[in-house]
Amino acid sequence: MTDEEIDKVLQKASGAATPVEPATLKRVADSLHSSLRPVRPLPPTWVLTTGLAVICAVVAVATAARAGFYGIEKMSLEESVLILSALAILVWVAGTQFVRQLIPASRQPLTVGAFVTISSAALLGVFALLFRDYHTEHFISAGIACLLTGMLVATPAALLSWLLLRRGFAVNPVAAGLVGGVLAGLSGVMMLELHCANFQALHILVWHTAVVPVCAAAGSLVGWALRRRSTPA
Amino acid sequence: MARYQAGDFAAVTALVECIGPQLHRFFMAQSVSRSDADDLLQDTWLRIHRVRHTYRPGEPVLPWFYAIARRVRIDHYRRASRTTTRERRLEDVPDVAAVLPPEEAQSEDLEVLLAPLPHSQREVLLMMKVAGMSLEDIARATACSVGSVKQKVHRAYKTLRDSMNAIGGKKGSSRGQP
Repeated sequence: MTDEEIDKVLQKASGAATPVEPATLKRVADSLHSSLRPVRPLPPTWVLTTGLAVICAVVAVATAARAGFYGIEKMSLEESVLILSALAILVWVAGTQFVRQLIPASRQPLTVGAFVTISSAALLGVFALLFRDYHTEHFISAGIACLLTGMLVATPAALLSWLLLRRGFAVNPVAAGLVGGVLAGLSGVMMLELHCANFQALHILVWHTAVVPVCAAAGSLVGWALRRRSTPA
Repeated sequence: MARYQAGDFAAVTALVECIGPQLHRFFMAQSVSRSDADDLLQDTWLRIHRVRHTYRPGEPVLPWFYAIARRVRIDHYRRASRTTTRERRLEDVPDVAAVLPPEEAQSEDLEVLLAPLPHSQREVLLMMKVAGMSLEDIARATACSVGSVKQKVHRAYKTLRDSMNAIGGKKGSSRGQP
């Protein structure tokens, strides 16, 4: 059997399908009429993405200002420019992806898994390029402190981002949570780069980068919980 | 759609009459009963109504409708499977797989024809053949890449070809018997 013959069979079958009752359609239309009022469409993606980028930057800078800009003060100009530009690009991409997750039928050029992997790999690449001091001291204790700080900073960034996009609708809440987690995690990493003066390569490669996947996992968990709550058995 | 967002009553009726039958067929072909399809249609429109501000004028409208319909169907499936699990735990009823006998596949019903396909391939084929959507639109509705949609369509055709050839062979051999 050829593809054309399959097409014909499918066309015939689809034409022969029992039509929906007009009464059902009328009932649906009537139920919508009762609550019909004008609505304002969401702003363009770039406007929302700019809002998200501003939130991430403000949260990171505000918390770093409170804790001290020790990290950025210790860095050379080239290092700080390279790190901050890489973070700015990643925040922009993550923001765009997050907005797309909250608008049904948006283009998704990357799967969420690939997006998390690429974001983490990009951070690892930049950090590996700049930090070469491979001796370690207080690896676990200092690392956990940085990871927790990054996650703490990510929390308000995530909440404010959600507030900005609260009118959106996530077709896949788990994927949306994951991407939102990456965005918030990047805010946490930004704060750590501004604040943390520990330039040991392994510390930065492992613990600073880990903020992104850990926040992504936390975000997907929140998305899963929200989806479960919205579909009670 | 822009008129619907502006609160035009006539636009709602026109949209429901135009898109409603397509969505109903989409649900019917996913192996749900007629009453379930009616409920899913109602749920989908309520969801569409609640999030109608997320549609942006100028964007393709069918993928937007199908993305929401797909989400409603997945929610329905999850809810149903969770309920089934609980009922099974309580009543200890054995689960019987709903496998169609090959003879039934001779029927010309779309649901029966598409029964051998997994859900992901079935919905892609439905969007393509019933709703007449392009690969790009299907990719938007299913939140995946065009390449992935092409692959699903290719696999769906292969499965259908195999299943229809098998039925044809069976028919031929049964005719040959005295």
